[in-house]
Amino acid sequence: MTVALEANGLGKRYGRRWALRDCSLSIPQGRVVGLVGPNGAGKTTLLHLAVGLQTPTAGTVSLLGDRPGSGPAALARFGFLAQDAPTYSRLKVREHLTMGAYLNPAWDTAFASARTEELRLDPGQRAGTLSGGQRAQLALTLAVAKRPELLLLDEPVASLDPLARREFLQTLMEVVASRSISVVLSSHLIADLERVCDYLVVLVAGTVAVAGDVDSLLASHHRLVGRRRDPLTLPSDQSVIEASHVDKQTTLMVRTDAPILDPGWTVTPVTLEDLVLAYMRRARDGAVELSTGLAAVQ
Amino acid sequence: MIRFAWLQSRTQTLVTAALLTALAVTATITGVHFSNLYHSLVGHCQTGCDLATSDFLSHGHFMQRMLDLVAQVVPALFGIFWGAPLLTREFETGTYRLAWTQSVTRSRWLVTKLAVVGTATAVLAGALTLTITWWYRQFDVLDSNQYAVFERRDIAPIGYAVFAFALGTLVGALVRRTLPAMAATLVGFVFARVAVQLWVRPHLIAPLHKATSLLVGGMGFEISDGTVHVITKGAAPANSWEVSSNLATSSGLTPTTAQVSAYVHQYCPAIAVPPAAGQSVGKAPDPSAFQACQSQLARAFHLVVSYQPASRYWTFQWLETGIFVALALLAAVGCYWVVTRRTA
Repeated sequence: MTVALEANGLGKRYGRRWALRDCSLSIPQGRVVGLVGPNGAGKTTLLHLAVGLQTPTAGTVSLLGDRPGSGPAALARFGFLAQDAPTYSRLKVREHLTMGAYLNPAWDTAFASARTEELRLDPGQRAGTLSGGQRAQLALTLAVAKRPELLLLDEPVASLDPLARREFLQTLMEVVASRSISVVLSSHLIADLERVCDYLVVLVAGTVAVAGDVDSLLASHHRLVGRRRDPLTLPSDQSVIEASHVDKQTTLMVRTDAPILDPGWTVTPVTLEDLVLAYMRRARDGAVELSTGLAAVQ
Repeated sequence: MIRFAWLQSRTQTLVTAALLTALAVTATITGVHFSNLYHSLVGHCQTGCDLATSDFLSHGHFMQRMLDLVAQVVPALFGIFWGAPLLTREFETGTYRLAWTQSVTRSRWLVTKLAVVGTATAVLAGALTLTITWWYRQFDVLDSNQYAVFERRDIAPIGYAVFAFALGTLVGALVRRTLPAMAATLVGFVFARVAVQLWVRPHLIAPLHKATSLLVGGMGFEISDGTVHVITKGAAPANSWEVSSNLATSSGLTPTTAQVSAYVHQYCPAIAVPPAAGQSVGKAPDPSAFQACQSQLARAFHLVVSYQPASRYWTFQWLETGIFVALALLAAVGCYWVVTRRTA
């Protein structure tokens, strides 16, 4: 299995602030990857480093095995839809397609024109007068008509209304399915990603909080509710992601690959949103301080 | 990439070309008119040619003012409106993220853009300066010292325009915001123009020297705190560039100000009268006394004139253009370095 995106100790510093720090991950090809994290987590920085718009301060990154910015061949292999879907406001829709044809040797003219027709984009309209949803669709068309192996999208639906958001993601999934493209899609809203992604990377404060296949993440995380107890007493193969205690009850989110046998717990599955939020809180507040957390409430 | 660079710069190029065409049409119509006037007044004159010449030169002042302004300002405008926004617009609207993720490397993208828009700049500036030089041809022959209009004729403005454009893109790459880049481009361009004019151009070729009598050319006196300064001008050959003119004694030495002043005080006391209190300019001396003093001075001193002969005009034009094209290339290399090496 080839790797779509690989980072090793990747870091990027702006002045004194690290936007991304010691980030290591390996995303397989053939997946739809959700890159999720709160605003300012480093999602844009990671994507910009991956496509060569920026250069790392530390570590290395490779995209489809190529060093970013290593030449036109490497550039031709991915499509990138930057945040807010930049287009040239004074150029017409038609001229954007012309641009794509001029600048990309593998340009798919038939796809681009069929796509704009389907989206009912007026070829003579200037991109600056398109609605946000139309602009995002135009930018997606440009990125896909490059015939990329990998499509990277930075918050593609953040600025869209709910209807446009749904339409955009639907288009995206159609295209991805019919052309077998790998996708990396960033968002600060898990709801956007839940429907489309089969692989998840949670980025918090510049580092990877958790990464993995969505189904196996869901299968290995459980919510345990039971009588109040110290999470330190759990079996060693269960790691606590989050713990909360009220009066006589303890609620935990644990990660384990083994079945949970303790009859004292009521075990329920977690949703993707619960899972992501738990990791985000953990990364924000630091790892669960188990016994002291319990001591404080006693 | 060339086709895309043209697609992006097409509108601004065509609009500028249309404006310049309007100017060229105006210049052609008035130019033909003045050409006819020249031929009827000066072309066939047998006697009284001075009168005919001054009659001819009394025409066309409005067009001259306009063309002088255009020739002076337009090269800077290429820097401000073409150069500065070339990259800042991409940064401000975020479209650099679109442009740099197509299947064209950033360096090729930049070089092509610079080449396409730079060529358009050179072509349009060339058309402009050609028009202006053509319009002025008869006025220049009759009136001006060619060095006096050096910056507004022939090929020098092409160099200025190309430099302004390249400087604008470099500043844009560094500053990344349009308005500050425009302002900085204007400041940088004016500075470069003035610097070359004052500190570089006079030293490009060693001037020729010529000794002449003090009775040739213009002369004046300036009195401050009782010291009399002798001012001389216009003793260089016609149509040449007078770099300096200094008094010299018969033995070839340059006299000190005090020596000259003492001489004037001694031999022409009528001249050395300081202005009445409260006045900056003294009473004009009696013409005969002035002439007497001039002849008196001419006995003791002569003039040494340093000048660039008329024949070097084109050498200077090429050097000036070359310097600014070289500066433009330097700015382009700097811009390339900033865009390709510096982190976006």
